[in-house]
Amino acid sequence: MLACIALISGVAAAAPRQQFVAPAPGSYRLEAIQPVPDGEVLDSEGAAAPLRRYTTGKVTLLSFIYTYCVDPVGCPLAFQTFSELRTRLLANPAQARRVRFVSMSFDPTNDTPAALRNYAGSLAAPASPLRWHFLTTRNVAGLRPIIDGFGQDVTVNLDAQGRPTRLYNHLLKVFLIDARGRVREIYTTAYLMPEVILGDIQTLLMERAP
Amino acid sequence: MKTSRGLLPFLFALALPLTAAVADETCNSPYLANLIKGQEDYLHVWTLGVPGLGDGADKLVTVDVKPGSPKYGKVINVLSVPGRGEAHHMGFSDDRRYLWAGRLDDSKIFVFDVGTDPAQPKLVKTISDLVSKSGYVGPHTFYPIPGRMLIGTLSNARDKGGATGMVVYNNKGDYVASYPIPTSMPGAAQADGYGYDIAINPRRNAMLTSSFTGYKNYMADLGKLIADPAAMKNFGNTMVLWDFKAMKPTKVLNTPGAPLEIRWSLNENDNWAITASALTSKLWLIRPDSKGEWQARDVANIGDPAKTPLPVDISIAADGKSLWVNTFMDGKTRLFDLRDPAAPKQVYEKVTGKQVNMVSQSWDGKRVYVTSSLLANWDKKGADNEQFLKLFSWDGKELREQWKIDFIKEGLGRAHHMKFTAKAAGAAPVDGAVVADRSVPSR
Repeated sequence: MLACIALISGVAAAAPRQQFVAPAPGSYRLEAIQPVPDGEVLDSEGAAAPLRRYTTGKVTLLSFIYTYCVDPVGCPLAFQTFSELRTRLLANPAQARRVRFVSMSFDPTNDTPAALRNYAGSLAAPASPLRWHFLTTRNVAGLRPIIDGFGQDVTVNLDAQGRPTRLYNHLLKVFLIDARGRVREIYTTAYLMPEVILGDIQTLLMERAP
Repeated sequence: MKTSRGLLPFLFALALPLTAAVADETCNSPYLANLIKGQEDYLHVWTLGVPGLGDGADKLVTVDVKPGSPKYGKVINVLSVPGRGEAHHMGFSDDRRYLWAGRLDDSKIFVFDVGTDPAQPKLVKTISDLVSKSGYVGPHTFYPIPGRMLIGTLSNARDKGGATGMVVYNNKGDYVASYPIPTSMPGAAQADGYGYDIAINPRRNAMLTSSFTGYKNYMADLGKLIADPAAMKNFGNTMVLWDFKAMKPTKVLNTPGAPLEIRWSLNENDNWAITASALTSKLWLIRPDSKGEWQARDVANIGDPAKTPLPVDISIAADGKSLWVNTFMDGKTRLFDLRDPAAPKQVYEKVTGKQVNMVSQSWDGKRVYVTSSLLANWDKKGADNEQFLKLFSWDGKELREQWKIDFIKEGLGRAHHMKFTAKAAGAAPVDGAVVADRSVPSR
């Protein structure tokens, strides 16, 4: 634990600096980039459901994670961004109920529903106006079409003997999805600015239902 | 270990810096993944086919550029695509797994897989609907934005003139949207609608576009074009500053004489970009003034503008302190000191070929690659029509040629745009075979 404390004091996720005033929500349009793929997922209680249950009906912010990721510009930065957005969205519960967060694991072998439940803790509380779902798949075969459908790159680092390690290489991507299940914005590390993302969420919330 | 809030916040606090490279060779977008700060392994040259030379087709030529390799400085792969269509520029996808390469004549875009095995790129998709979807012609710049490719075009299908725009495709190669370069905007500068390069500074939400000329001009014979005063008026004289988030133009900047490649300083504390105008042979600095208003100002001549040396490509150092400039007509590679970007000074020049076009430097600035072709109908004729890729070393004082590949002798064609790749050592795709036997980490 002492070692952990030492690490905590010296580390922060490298969030990009926003040096501009974001355009007003609703003053611009976010184009439909691509449809969201479907597939079977497991929630943190182990219940199976189609992914579309978590990507339609509300504005959704989704990213891929693995629970033991320590890359400061990877999963922890996504978590930091999601956490800040969660706080800001919960300030308006009526708005928060129209939004959901999804964190989906790259690693179904390790990140079982129980592991995700442990990882998420109270963040996944069903009673929260802003639901945050932690999802996995039954196996890699179930995961692969989903990450390919999103266009999320990922590889596993190998050790000197060619054996897989615990390190996944991936370009951090956060997907903003409209209520119809279309990806409307994608954020990589350089673009991961909470105020801008909040404006994009509100822009989608301001759109009229089709 | 479990806490009332779970493991997630705890693991967040354990974040450690990893060794992944986080910057790019200087001529690309600085916001890509898997960027090469060390030694590049391969160099890809998007090459224009020449009738009667080899197979005559446009091709992606891959060269082994890793010192010590048995094939160092040699062509190791040639991937021809069907026909000739004025092969021009390329750009990586955001994850650097794919290389998009465009043609200015038939507006086709070829997507190569360079992630699986960069020594042997594979053509995985050909996009042929740019004109029908957007109305624009001549895909020039391929600038990755998250999950998408932002493409700067040069012309339009209606009159093949210079009014053009930007087009977005998603990474799967599906059309998303188009954005016209403004032809009218309030302000001092006269918007002209021309397009060429794109460069984005995410921290400032600032996107710049530059301007060249339309299809009728860039496909014309250069000698005839220069002799046609009316045609010579049809070049862009502006850059446009955009609100990138909103994809809306905010200001037109007056930069006469076809401002081409745009480079933001990669120094995080800087807030400026630079470009070179081909016809007026000047360097332009784009940055906010003391009131925060973005301005473009010509800050240096490149050679003698009266002799039209035709600056055609620039390459900025990783620290933003110097800039290579290639001038096509006199075949010179010039170095400018940019320590004061408002007053660049030329500190070195060398004739690197009878005609030179693209210049690309490694991240550490020690290697400078040069190619020869500008456009099929603009290249010099006869003995002056050298076609090559050359590597020069740079020790801070002198460019020294290390090797040259003669693209005519090798039966390849006209050597144009270059991109670097590196072997993806020690990584495997996530699939059942790899992950299933992975030992579950201890908790």
